[in-house]
Amino acid sequence: MNVVVCVKQVPEVTDAELEINKEGIGILKEDLEFDINEWDNYAVEEAVRIKEAHGGKVIVITLGDEDSEDVLRVALAMGADEAIRIDEEAFELSDAAGIAQGLYHVIRDLSFDLLLTGAQSSDYGWGQVGPILAELLGLPYASLVVGIEIDEGKMIVHRELESNTQEKVEIPLPAVLTIQTGINNPRYVSIMGIQKVRKIEIKETDSGELGLSEEEIGLMGSCVASQELSLPAVGEGAKILTGSLNEICEKTAQIIRDKAGVI
Amino acid sequence: MGGANNKNCELVGTTMIPYRISYWHIQPAWIFYLLAAVAVGIFIFGLITHVSVWIKGIKRQAIHLSWSGTSNLLLDGLLGLRIFRGDIAAGTIHLLILWGFSGLFVGTVLISVDYWLHHFLKGSVYLWYSTCLEIVGLMLLVGLVWSLIRRYLQHVPRLERRLEDLTVVVLLFVVVLSGFMVEGLRLAAQRPDWALWSFAGHWMSLLWTNHHQGALSIYPYVWWAHALLSLGLIAFIPYSKLFHMLAAPASIYLENQPLQAIPVETRGQDDEVFSYRDMIFFDACTRCGRCVEACPSTGAGEPFAPRDFIVWTRNDLLMKYHPLNHFDWFTNWIKRRHTREHVFDTQKIWYCTTCRACLDVCPVYVATPDTIRQARGKVVEEGIQVPSLLTQTLKNLYKYNNPWEATKKKRAKRSQDLEIPDLSKGEEAKGLCYFVGCTTSMDIRAQELARSFARILKHAQIPFAILGNKEPCCGDIARRAGEDGLFEKQMEDSVELLGRYGIRDVVTSSPHCFHTFRNEYPAFQALKPAEERLELRVRHYTMLLRELVTAGSLRLERPLNVKVTYHDPCYLGRHNRIFDAPREIIAAIPGVEMVEMAHNRANSLCCGGGGGRIWQEDLDADVNMAEIRIREAEAAGAEIIITACPLCLIMLEDARKTSSLEYAVRVMDLNELVATALSPPVLGGENHECCGMRKTGS
Repeated sequence: MNVVVCVKQVPEVTDAELEINKEGIGILKEDLEFDINEWDNYAVEEAVRIKEAHGGKVIVITLGDEDSEDVLRVALAMGADEAIRIDEEAFELSDAAGIAQGLYHVIRDLSFDLLLTGAQSSDYGWGQVGPILAELLGLPYASLVVGIEIDEGKMIVHRELESNTQEKVEIPLPAVLTIQTGINNPRYVSIMGIQKVRKIEIKETDSGELGLSEEEIGLMGSCVASQELSLPAVGEGAKILTGSLNEICEKTAQIIRDKAGVI
Repeated sequence: MGGANNKNCELVGTTMIPYRISYWHIQPAWIFYLLAAVAVGIFIFGLITHVSVWIKGIKRQAIHLSWSGTSNLLLDGLLGLRIFRGDIAAGTIHLLILWGFSGLFVGTVLISVDYWLHHFLKGSVYLWYSTCLEIVGLMLLVGLVWSLIRRYLQHVPRLERRLEDLTVVVLLFVVVLSGFMVEGLRLAAQRPDWALWSFAGHWMSLLWTNHHQGALSIYPYVWWAHALLSLGLIAFIPYSKLFHMLAAPASIYLENQPLQAIPVETRGQDDEVFSYRDMIFFDACTRCGRCVEACPSTGAGEPFAPRDFIVWTRNDLLMKYHPLNHFDWFTNWIKRRHTREHVFDTQKIWYCTTCRACLDVCPVYVATPDTIRQARGKVVEEGIQVPSLLTQTLKNLYKYNNPWEATKKKRAKRSQDLEIPDLSKGEEAKGLCYFVGCTTSMDIRAQELARSFARILKHAQIPFAILGNKEPCCGDIARRAGEDGLFEKQMEDSVELLGRYGIRDVVTSSPHCFHTFRNEYPAFQALKPAEERLELRVRHYTMLLRELVTAGSLRLERPLNVKVTYHDPCYLGRHNRIFDAPREIIAAIPGVEMVEMAHNRANSLCCGGGGGRIWQEDLDADVNMAEIRIREAEAAGAEIIITACPLCLIMLEDARKTSSLEYAVRVMDLNELVATALSPPVLGGENHECCGMRKTGS
């Protein structure tokens, strides 16, 4: 049972103070830390668990710059067997379809039973690479997967729906699934674990080698073009109190007295 | 009577010389030797079993001849001094049993020498010999009975009542009792003139005063029973907690031998995580339960006890490396046998705060905090069972080089707030480097510690600087969590950075950084060529403050009129034995009345923040450890609980609020107290009116 997983390196933005870059369509990345996209982490863990239970191998693929090798190393340390990086240079400003094109040109030559991607990425969050890949590969597809039971030539897949409901569907293999967080508890990857896989060679390729032309990828190949990225405006009704701790406390108490009528 | 007397005395001239005939009325003696050989064989096989586990351990030290080891062996081994601490009855019982047992053992050796090599147990030597054996035998009996009373009638809480606990004591008891019976029967049958020298045996013989023929007829049966029980006892030793009589002295001797660091990259894939010394430690454990009493986690009702960890690990290792475990029948049998005891799950090792309370009370120095760390290392390496909050913390440590997810920008902003010369901004290192630490830099409450300390240093006119946004994590959290790869990376980064700025003198806010620099780094530095080693003088701030107070460069002149207590941080107190410095500083402040809590100094209770626990709130039981501590402070009548660690500060500050003692007890770092006592006071302004000082003078 061979499983291919598409992963992506994303900036950690939860607690960071983001700033927009001067082009106005991206963020400043100097002060940010990078990590594997959370959904993809669950997908890799799920792939490794499937391998541990059913044998076969796990291949991870990313489309990114040299630094994104880090996420491939993490995946290898988790138990993936092979890793491929597609250089992102020609893919700049690609929409989800362009990214999927790049991945598709690598994946179509691989022999696999299951293709996993994260349900979405934490940075742009289109959630489209998985479905487009399924379309390009002509494979059945299920999204937001929170459980997989593998049987002979098919699998039962649990999908997460609204209000805690789950749908159970049967899908023949091979197939494409996009993985939702919470499907498992991804293992911790120790520094030692990453050291151990340092010697595994990461295969590298690029758009030229894959025979992709400028019309298919990048800004030219995209039907969606980013116009502007902005931080939300400070809303009405929010008030930031300034002053010493005591002054802030006084002011807060005054507001509570005035607005809520608490004595 | 004469006939009997003829059999156990020699006629030398006209005097009768007392001695004992070996194998009197026992035929054939060779059966005894055969059985003895079997018993010794079983004993040796048991010994081999233990040794075959020990040799699988990693070799982290060479065994040197050491005086401290030898003196520990005498004091803690032969005298069992640590057993007396806090429990005089236990110490006395152990001494009675140890010396009773050893006395009888020596007696047996002597009689063998007498029989095989040189006949010297005769005349007055024999009589004194006999009396001594009576005394040690009675000591043993008294010790055994007393131990049974403590365990089964007094129900001392820390003692378990497993089958083994009963078997061991009862077996020893019947061996000694049957020995006295054999002697009694012999004396009843022989009726020698010197019977009173063997006073206990003589009392026993009074049971058969008028039946000496009867005594003679049952004598061989009782003799054989005694022989079989004694041989059984010998065979049983390596398979029971009695094995501590061999493992404990080894453990005590090895305790303070220096340990070698083993960098992660030199470790093999399947290497054992424990060293052979750890394995001897485990074998030395008698499940006495002192660690259970001392453990703050157990005390707070959490599902962890150091003793369980030790027993579980010991069983695990024995199963893994037993010489018979190539045979399926054996492994199946062991599995069936251990299922009930084998309930310790790996998740529980994360409860340990590595506070060292267990090691401090352990009579045989079982290094639980260290072995817990190594057991964690294995879990971290496998990755699957690491608790999710800890996974998050470790990932943050790797990504941000601090556990608080603080980017460099944030960290820079925080250190700006501290208004301290910053080396990362090109300011010169003027000697002292103040290593603020991740938590003291990032936590709003803990920052007060750094601000106060900086003001004190400025007041005392000590030039110093910080590393600002360059300051790395020292590696303490990774080390305690068993993530040694990350620890070593952080250590290397720190060493490189300190070297680059030419820093040789470091003072820390946190006892954790202090401990890591002082006690963890050197073993790794020792592996490097001399010119690459970092020679660092490391002090915790309490050490520096004491020096300043003693030298008179810090005058604490402002009376504070307040009643305080001091909470010993584990990594300052128990781990580094700094108990007096903070107390001396407090005592130097006029008007401050110091009261001690029920648990203080080496006996201090952990706040629950160490060993990575502060980042794993989901492990807390209903009552958390810090709440227990705050209640103790209140019970001691203190208005302020002083501590000297940012983690303790945060934990206690939270507990004060959650245990509704917000207005009864205040929490302060020692720096804050000292800053308030300076004249003129170097207060932090806005926050300090809440420090609870009663106004003095005016």
